Amino acid sequence: MSKLRDSVVSTCEKKFLLNLLKESKRLDGRAFNEFRDLKIEFGKDWGSCFVSLGETQVLAQVSCEIQLPKSTRPSEGILYINLELNPIAAPQFEAGRQSDLSVQLNRILEKCIKDSRAVDLESLCIKVKEKVWALRVDLNVLNHEGNILDCASVAALAALKHFRRPDVTCDGENIIIHTYAQRDTIPTVIHHYPVCISYAIYSNGEIILADPSLLEENVSEAQLMLGLNAYKELCGFYLGGSASVSADVILKVTNRAAKRALTVIDQLKEAVEQDDLKRQQNEEIGFQHSHSFSKDLSQNGNKLADILNAWRTVPTKKKKTEVKPEIVEQAKVEPIGKGNQSAVLLPPETENSPWNVSSDESEETENSTTNKTTNQNNKQEIMEVSSGSDSEEDQVIVLNAKNKMKKTKTKTKK
Amino acid sequence: MEMDSNTDCSMPISNFGNLTRPDGSTIYSQGKSTVIAGVYGPIDVKPQKMLIDRGSVETFFRPKSGLPGVGDRLYETIIRNICETALVSTLYPRSGIQVVIQEMQSGGELISCSVNAACLALLDSGIDMKFLIAAATCCLDQEGYLIVDPTELQQEKAKATFVFVFESSEGRIVASHTTGTFKLEQYEQALDLCKKGSAKIFEYYRKVINGKYNKK
Repeated sequence: MSKLRDSVVSTCEKKFLLNLLKESKRLDGRAFNEFRDLKIEFGKDWGSCFVSLGETQVLAQVSCEIQLPKSTRPSEGILYINLELNPIAAPQFEAGRQSDLSVQLNRILEKCIKDSRAVDLESLCIKVKEKVWALRVDLNVLNHEGNILDCASVAALAALKHFRRPDVTCDGENIIIHTYAQRDTIPTVIHHYPVCISYAIYSNGEIILADPSLLEENVSEAQLMLGLNAYKELCGFYLGGSASVSADVILKVTNRAAKRALTVIDQLKEAVEQDDLKRQQNEEIGFQHSHSFSKDLSQNGNKLADILNAWRTVPTKKKKTEVKPEIVEQAKVEPIGKGNQSAVLLPPETENSPWNVSSDESEETENSTTNKTTNQNNKQEIMEVSSGSDSEEDQVIVLNAKNKMKKTKTKTKK
Repeated sequence: MEMDSNTDCSMPISNFGNLTRPDGSTIYSQGKSTVIAGVYGPIDVKPQKMLIDRGSVETFFRPKSGLPGVGDRLYETIIRNICETALVSTLYPRSGIQVVIQEMQSGGELISCSVNAACLALLDSGIDMKFLIAAATCCLDQEGYLIVDPTELQQEKAKATFVFVFESSEGRIVASHTTGTFKLEQYEQALDLCKKGSAKIFEYYRKVINGKYNKK
């Protein structure tokens, strides 16, 4: 019986992973700030996009229809974002039911993409107070191997960028929708691309992993999810879990995430451009030419074998260049014996240990951490570009003060 | 009554195990349609769905956009009935078998594409089956010609659509699903055409399974 209602991580798995992290190694052989491969593919329909981040896969489809605008915003179109945790992705996901995870992911995506005004909604207006386009982004998670959010945010943006809506004309009373064959289609105007970048935090911010896998996600003390665009503007911020992370660590991580965001956005734009080029040259398009059909992908079983073959029991010195200084320090942790079968690992300087391996005390600490978790969750701070204000001149949070002038200009530009 | 010459159906393409979570999975493309199928099983099942003497089969058909509607429920029922016939569910009492089909691209004959994908995913998962199943679609256009493997446009304009599912051991019909109006002889002709089509699919199954296990 493989189906479990919730994904449970066994204690030995947890301990193994944490010990491995202390040796500055990751289970899949990545460096701490290394991300998995991102692949973006497009289907034959407009706005249909398949994104895979390592083994995590998300399918996005944008659709549009004409609707009555909201009375508070009569001249703006509507954007819906709907992330669905498909039962194919993991056995515990149920079809058509909102779980805590799906609500959380939907909300973060909405905050990141919708509330940062990435899509120009005013251009979706057909007739003020009467008819506007409503864009709907459906995201289907196909395989859950950790970090759904990053994958979904890229899928949503790529699908929106790829999408073309039909042209409409108005002759006084009637509105005519021209089919794709009749008239050229209209692309969606996107001001900026706020992609989500996720991190998993361990040992109170001493170890920070980029793009956590499923196990890493489940074991982590806290999760940091950042929404960033190419201009280093923070469009969403979410810190869940319970770790006392200092502000400068977060700032450092955010700066690193901004670099990553830039590469992701470049890749996204290039993928869309290449698809456009293919369409212009009347090449064959669609998922039937997807890389998923290439045979080398089907050898998932051998990947583990490859990792195990490359595995060395003797710790290698300075194998990874990206190892941060904190981690090197952390490797000096001295085990202090506390009687039989118990050992408390203490970092050299701090008094209270971030976590201990004692079997007796582990339950206690777990209880206290769950309490902390709920507290922390209640005050999930979310910084956004638009903090609910109606004006176009929204407050812009710039990570790098030097570029401030330039950024504000790009923001006000329509 | 004449046959349309549109019988040079492009061979389907597929790949196994591109999803890591399900017990069996496949991405399958036939014509312009592409679906992903995943199978979980045998798994635990809700008490109200549990059957004492056999495993209960659950299917989900997920459209790529919007929430699943009535049409998708119909697809789910069709696929579930077919899978129940093909599986030896008595081997898995008090447990469940979950088949999930995700539409990726729609380009006609989506039902047969989904059924064939489900069969390959079940094969990949290693759940016991009585026989393999293959579906073929055929449609009757306004002039009375029969078209094998129709495109989405042809299917939309068709007077009638036939979907037949055959089994591999004796070539009997497992399921027949029709829409629209037609004559009895047209039905029989369509049946013949689809049987030929399904033979090609069975050939294809043999080829991919051979390819899967004889890599080295």
